[in-house]
Amino acid sequence: MLNNKEYLNKLYQSDKPLIIYKTDKGYDIYTDFSRRIIINKKNLKYFLNIQTKSKKSKIEELNCYVGFFGYKLLCENIGIKFPKQRSKNFHSGVFYKPQTKISIGKKIIIKSIKPDFRNISINTKKYLQLNKKFNLNLSLKQYSKIFNDFSKNIKQGKTYQIKIAQTYSKKGNINSIDLFWKLMKMNESPESFLIREKDYNIVSCSPETLILKKDKTIRTKPIAGTLRKTKQLNKNKALTFFRRNEKETKEHNMIVDMERNDLSKICKTGSVKIDKLKKVEEYRDLFHYVTTIKGVIKNKMSNHDIISSLMPGGSVIGCPKISTIQLLNRKEKFDRNIYTGSFGIIHSNGDMRFNIMIRTLLNFKNDIELSVASGVILGSTAKKEYNENYIKAKSLLDLFN
Amino acid sequence: MIYLIDHEDSFTYNLAHLLDSIEPTFVSNYYEIDQIKLEKSSTIVLSPGPGEPKDYPLTTKIYNKYKGKKKILGICLGFQQIVFCEGAKIVQQKNILHGYQSHIKVTNDKSIFKKNFNFLGGRYHSLKMAEPFVSQSMIITMRCVKTNVAMAVEDDINKVYGLQFHPDSFLTPHGKYLIKKILSR
Repeated sequence: MLNNKEYLNKLYQSDKPLIIYKTDKGYDIYTDFSRRIIINKKNLKYFLNIQTKSKKSKIEELNCYVGFFGYKLLCENIGIKFPKQRSKNFHSGVFYKPQTKISIGKKIIIKSIKPDFRNISINTKKYLQLNKKFNLNLSLKQYSKIFNDFSKNIKQGKTYQIKIAQTYSKKGNINSIDLFWKLMKMNESPESFLIREKDYNIVSCSPETLILKKDKTIRTKPIAGTLRKTKQLNKNKALTFFRRNEKETKEHNMIVDMERNDLSKICKTGSVKIDKLKKVEEYRDLFHYVTTIKGVIKNKMSNHDIISSLMPGGSVIGCPKISTIQLLNRKEKFDRNIYTGSFGIIHSNGDMRFNIMIRTLLNFKNDIELSVASGVILGSTAKKEYNENYIKAKSLLDLFN
Repeated sequence: MIYLIDHEDSFTYNLAHLLDSIEPTFVSNYYEIDQIKLEKSSTIVLSPGPGEPKDYPLTTKIYNKYKGKKKILGICLGFQQIVFCEGAKIVQQKNILHGYQSHIKVTNDKSIFKKNFNFLGGRYHSLKMAEPFVSQSMIITMRCVKTNVAMAVEDDINKVYGLQFHPDSFLTPHGKYLIKKILSR
């Protein structure tokens, strides 16, 4: 019989669907899925409030669903209608029920309810990258036009802040396992994950936690503020930069108040508190400005209520959420697809963990795509925000060099 | 009971928590008003929101109907809705202040707050009320220390109060004190 390490290597080399999710201690791998549920607006509520509660497995850790909600599904869930957009017709959301969980930390621990889980065959699929360079869907000129239109909307008070998304794309297929571990070596982020599936792959180094719910306590960790790394900069200097920079401070303040609002909708009066205000987190290419907010959930709130209040995550849209999404929908000609949706896990006891799908690469059919966004804030310039988007995409684009 | 009218803002529930910690508060969208609860409420609060007062004719109607009969408090857009109903023009201001913290001062000795009381307030507005503002019973009681832009109006006879800044923001440390005092009138 294969030992744990040999099993894991063989699993990587197979074409079995699997999910890898970064944890505090290392990584969790989920596989041997007994169910795959495509989530749409019709079954979302049932899935969250009923289906995820079933406790069929004797192994508690396997009583869970892992997967993602796309951006459009999350918007439609809060009553927003979409105009016609160019779309790749990718799944609106998919969740999986695992029969095997492998935790990689100091040791490899495997828990499975599938008797023959070590029985796997190796895949010989060839990966092909058709074009070398990524295409960007918006030129600086097109971006500037949208930027200027939104600047006008801000002056009119229709939105306080708005984030324009851009998409890099090219033809090809990826070996997602190789790409993921390469990415983790370069830029391990707290909300990283991978989904390897027969018809698609997602590789992510998301830094942003949207929901961390344990029992009745919920936390969210919005990021607003990005600074490109240079040799002269360290964490302390980055903090000083953010504190002195009016644009970054205003942008951050707004997101903090917005996330306080989204938590207040589902939390007990007086329980919503700022846990850690304005800390700097360090990544390979950049520094982020981050705040943690927490609250105690009201007794009658369901997981669907919680998802509806917090998703789609505010920090990647702008503020106020509904009117800003409506403005975005008029200008964003491309479907955001999975970008700014959420990936995560729901346990049968109601605990949840979700990220925001940013810094996330999707390979669907023969298309590889990656989106980034940054904010229109008066006092900023189109060129600066356009470049900020490139910095955000860089660590993922570099994987193809 | 307080009836909080939400103009689909992303800060309304910060305000709802603040109000609810003082008096039970019911929240609804501006286009889904529960008439029975509205009638029963002792105070109506107009939330912040995107756009300008003339985008919300339903709220204008409610203000005109209940002014003088119930206590009314407006925050940000809600402030602008009150002064708009009282004849003021709403205009774009030079500097757009979203997520900005300002020093705000009580400038009028007829205010329910002590004159010269100086505090920090969080602001989210690109529009402001045009001045001079003339009204029989409503007075401007607070201003931005730096720019002199009007930050509060009070009509203590009709029990109507408006705040251009956000008492609900984490950028306004004395927010609860301010709201408590208004609700105690």
